[in-house]
Amino acid sequence: MSADTATPLDRAAILVLVRDQLAEILESSPSDIAEDASFEDLGADSLALIELVEALEEHLASYSAGFHIDDEDLEGLVSVRDAVDYVAVKLQVA
Amino acid sequence: MTLPIALDAMGGDFAPGEIVAGARRAVDELGLKVILVGVPELIGDPLGLEVFACSEVIAMDDDPGLSVRKKKDSSLVRAAELVRDAKASAMVSAGNTGATMASALLRMGRLPGVVRPCIATPIPNPGGTPTVLVDAGANSECTPEMLVQFALMASVFVETHYGVTSPKVGLLSIGEESSKGTPLVKASHELLVATSALNFVGNVEGRDLIPSSVDVVVTDGFTGNVALKTLEGALKFVFSAVISAIGTNDATKAAGDVLLEYLLPVANELTPERQGGAMLLGVDGICVISHGSSNATATMNALRVAAEVDAAGMVQKLKTAIRPDQAA
Repeated sequence: MSADTATPLDRAAILVLVRDQLAEILESSPSDIAEDASFEDLGADSLALIELVEALEEHLASYSAGFHIDDEDLEGLVSVRDAVDYVAVKLQVA
Repeated sequence: MTLPIALDAMGGDFAPGEIVAGARRAVDELGLKVILVGVPELIGDPLGLEVFACSEVIAMDDDPGLSVRKKKDSSLVRAAELVRDAKASAMVSAGNTGATMASALLRMGRLPGVVRPCIATPIPNPGGTPTVLVDAGANSECTPEMLVQFALMASVFVETHYGVTSPKVGLLSIGEESSKGTPLVKASHELLVATSALNFVGNVEGRDLIPSSVDVVVTDGFTGNVALKTLEGALKFVFSAVISAIGTNDATKAAGDVLLEYLLPVANELTPERQGGAMLLGVDGICVISHGSSNATATMNALRVAAEVDAAGMVQKLKTAIRPDQAA
């Protein structure tokens, strides 16, 4: 799917994506991952966060060519909400 | 056609010289196929071995996860990619342990159902098969479910590599009683008892690591790493003290000449270089983590172990152990 033809994302869809990817990484269920949960509370260490970042970059490349999460910004991502807000800003969605 | 083993030529205290020499020995003495992964200008003479060229090296003090992102053309990342892309049968590295694990995890991926990969380190058991300590340092914070998975995977490794049927599993604690230990240990004990696929024999203590009556000792990565380093340091001290005592005077030297004939075989059994390094269990591929101070012999043995577990189909067996409902 190319960036030109992908269905536009909204914030809700980004949240679903983040929860799905995190659930796969943590071997849990998306329903166990609340938007306001911190990565620490979910048991996601720094390596899990990088797994999440790489998965998001791979999935979101179809919406924004070359989508990339800057390594310098990783420290500021401490919760699911942080990750969703970050991606939303990067993709300029509501 | 047999795939080569991807050897990180840049990792370890004595890289690339000893690493390349070990690879050459593995080819000449064991008939293995090896491809060196590294920076050609730094490798120098590859001793006739094939080189997969890259331009970056992950240093020992680089952040494990970030280094995989920042140094995409590093020897560790490329070695993991060769395995992922079925261009190598396994990867071996004596470099940054955390980055080796991160490279394997981020490039090969986790086996389905595995919460977290773990490091399984063989501890010599003089006169018997080694005892495998797991997790030896990959995961400081663990859940009981993770410890059960570590035990399952280590049991597969012991069965596959050492030919032990129904390996005995012990849980590292501060006493044999199931009531002893941290909340993690107590909860893990209950789960291990309830896991019929395991031959769980109960708690073991630190002094049971060597020699050992169990085949697998399971613990969290923090405790495992402390235990391992303590054992290494203690053994090193004892060897050094014995050698020093022998050299005290003419009488002790004469006695030493007699004793050494009997002591050296024991010492040889206990040296890490014979064990072939630690296995990273839980990624979708074979990854052997050699000791950071690996010399040519240790490197050769690490390559040997990689080839042996590959030939024995260990990864498929691990998949089945974690997800028996999805067995092929």
